[in-house]
Amino acid sequence: MFSFLVLGALSSIIVLALTLFYKMYRLKELNTKVAALKFSLEEMDEQAKLIMRTDIELNKTQEELDKKISGLDSLQKLSHEINTTLEEKQIFNKIDNRYLEQLGFEKAMAFLWKSFERELRLYLNIGYNQDESEKIKAEINLKKDYFLDLIENGLVASSVSSPEGFLAKDKINSLFQVNSFIICPVLTQEGDKGFIVVGTQNTETPLTKGDQELISILCNQIAQTLDNARLFEKTWKSQQELEMKVEERTRQLTSALDKVQKMSKRKSDFISSVSHELRTPLTSIKGYAAILLAGSLGNLPDEIKTKLEKINRHSDELVHMINDLLDIARIESGKVDMKLENLDLKAITEKIFDLLTPQATTKNISFNSNIPDNCQSVQADRSQIERVFINLVGNALKFTPQNGKIDINARCSNKIIQIDVKDNGFGIPEEAQDHLFEEFYRVDNKINQEVKGTGLGLALIKHIIEAHGGRIWVKSKLGEGSTFSFTLKTA
Amino acid sequence: MNVSFGFSQIQEHVQAANEAVGQAIIGLRGAPANLALLFTSAEFAHPMVLKTANNLLGEIPVLGCNSSGIITNKGILKYGIAVLLLSLGRQTFFNTACVKNINGENSFLSGKDLGSKLLYGFKEVRRSITIILSDKLITDGTNLISGLQEDLGKSFPLIGASGSDNFANQRAFQYFNNELVSDACCGIIFGGKFSFGFGTKHGWKPLGRIRTASKSSSNIIKEIDGEPAIKLYEDYFAKDMLELAKELRRISIFYPIGIYLPGEKEYLLRNVISIHDDGSLVTQGDVPQDSKIRLMISTEESRIAAAIAACEEAKRNLGNQKIKFVLVFNSAARFFLLGRQHEKEISVIKEAFGENTPLIGIYTNGEQAPLTSISYLGQTYFHNQSINILAIGDQ
Repeated sequence: MFSFLVLGALSSIIVLALTLFYKMYRLKELNTKVAALKFSLEEMDEQAKLIMRTDIELNKTQEELDKKISGLDSLQKLSHEINTTLEEKQIFNKIDNRYLEQLGFEKAMAFLWKSFERELRLYLNIGYNQDESEKIKAEINLKKDYFLDLIENGLVASSVSSPEGFLAKDKINSLFQVNSFIICPVLTQEGDKGFIVVGTQNTETPLTKGDQELISILCNQIAQTLDNARLFEKTWKSQQELEMKVEERTRQLTSALDKVQKMSKRKSDFISSVSHELRTPLTSIKGYAAILLAGSLGNLPDEIKTKLEKINRHSDELVHMINDLLDIARIESGKVDMKLENLDLKAITEKIFDLLTPQATTKNISFNSNIPDNCQSVQADRSQIERVFINLVGNALKFTPQNGKIDINARCSNKIIQIDVKDNGFGIPEEAQDHLFEEFYRVDNKINQEVKGTGLGLALIKHIIEAHGGRIWVKSKLGEGSTFSFTLKTA
Repeated sequence: MNVSFGFSQIQEHVQAANEAVGQAIIGLRGAPANLALLFTSAEFAHPMVLKTANNLLGEIPVLGCNSSGIITNKGILKYGIAVLLLSLGRQTFFNTACVKNINGENSFLSGKDLGSKLLYGFKEVRRSITIILSDKLITDGTNLISGLQEDLGKSFPLIGASGSDNFANQRAFQYFNNELVSDACCGIIFGGKFSFGFGTKHGWKPLGRIRTASKSSSNIIKEIDGEPAIKLYEDYFAKDMLELAKELRRISIFYPIGIYLPGEKEYLLRNVISIHDDGSLVTQGDVPQDSKIRLMISTEESRIAAAIAACEEAKRNLGNQKIKFVLVFNSAARFFLLGRQHEKEISVIKEAFGENTPLIGIYTNGEQAPLTSISYLGQTYFHNQSINILAIGDQ
């Protein structure tokens, strides 16, 4: 029995020992697993730290990139807006809180230095009420030397870095009621310089050099636009002044022209009435002279006859002159209607040559005409155009020496015929050419001293040509001859 | 219920208020307005704006606040005024109240005071939801909510927000009728026939080992796992305390602390707003001692997915009701993180509710909202970095 009990106890001890051993083994195994788990957990925690560190760097980069993109985008839009105006005040008005926020700020002010008034004047105010802005403006002007130094030296002050000797950052923060700021000069080439201050109360987004660069670009842009605006204003003012001067001058000229036209009309009226008044007694003089010459009142001594013939001839010249004057006056006043018809230019020149051949023969002057087939037909008043030809060819005969030649050439283009009456005569001095078509103007030369003339012929034909819608001019060289050219419309 | 909106971006205060309120009044087409929500950018936090709005609206209650951005159907207004006018049915009831001069000492009592003021005359009415707007500088927001929940009940739906100021860390103003107040919390309680659906999400996921806030009090975490709390960030970001002091506020927007809440589906996020010399972390919102905490991480995709999920949850909670309008309280930190892509979040909200569903909201600096609970309706917590969608139904 005892041995049975001992055996039982022994086997129990063995079982307990085995169980204990097993438990110890399991405990050791679990401890190893716990240690491994702890190790894994620590490892995972370390990995988590790495993830966090990487993530924060990524976030920082992303944030900076976002800020830059957003800043550049708004800067580009703002630049475009600013460039659309050329008015100084409007330039600052274009900067609104929308753009400012995109640049990362919610407060902004711009001041320009008015040297005459010796004050920094406020041009832009975003984020401050009237009282606040007045207070800041007063404070800025009290400390103006600091800001003028910045402008003078083209320096930027900001929460990132401030130039030596400038106001302390906390003072600026308190002055502008912000937590971060950038003060950037607006350096114009012309006129008032100034500065822009932008700020934010945001304490979570620190300012970077990138922000400073963006605001500097904006300030440069504003300075350039201000310069453009000022240049534009200057140019505009000069243009306005010029326009005013031109207007004034035009007014004076118009008034002068009006006077001249009135005087010219008065002159024409005077010539017309005087000519009419002269023609009546002249007709009587000529009539009585004719009666006396005809011997109706008895025979007259030869000497008297000669005198009467002179009276008659001079009266004819006077009548001729009066008729020319009357014609000029009539044409000038538009009282003469040009009876336009299709005329054959060749036929007219031939008729003129026939008419003037006796005089040409005397001086052995040859006539030539070169009128192409397609330039033959003109639209003109027959009698008036014949007067033009007679006058021009007659003058050419007068001033062309023996054995000379007179050519009539024509050419046409764009329904306009140009007719040139060319001689190889003495020519006209250059200084006389400008006055040639003026009434009573006669070139001072030997022939004119010998040959009588009224000085009305060229003036009259100028009026006739202009009444036809054409123009007349002369080209001449002393000793080489002259070419009188005029234009008419083709039929 | 009739709803109408008005917006203005005119620079001059009175003209802007006239335009926005005028538009909203016209939009109601003669229906009487009962209640106005007024949101403005910081520039319009001005007594003249309230005076003008009240003059035009008559005696109706006006509630609102300023914010760094106003969310609308037409996009985000960074500058301006937005007004929402409600013309409620006869069987819908509401009450408004405001408590002022809140500080660290009296936030619980202030919350309790607000709760009892809101419930005044509301005893016999079936309560639906309370919306509050508070000053973001109220550091002890958790106690304020606890005080409110004393009277309203822990699981009573309570959502709210604090206006933001573009990270300027300055005072935000609350609007209560014709008063411009700060250090205050204004609220509105709806009851009777009033339906809503709510969704809140943030999109951050935990990363790294679970840690314990071994020593903390209110919104200050002194130690984590027995070491100075700052060591958490020092370890993870390989930066010393001096470096972190400069940028921890910003870093914590990317990587906030997540508090594990037993029984809740999501972690509760906490931003770090400053560091004490002893290495304690000051958070926006409290962190109870012995809380299990982790560092959180997100991506743009996870945050957008969270916005979609919040919309879906709000729609699901509203059921088959026709949506009258959508109120959004969206953390300003999310706006900051999305950067140029900030319209993306508004696009997905519009996509979820339909392009023409009226939408109004603000960017916030701290939100109050219930988390979706596994076992019960959901307790309201103070959140950071969350998007909160409140879809209001027709009835």
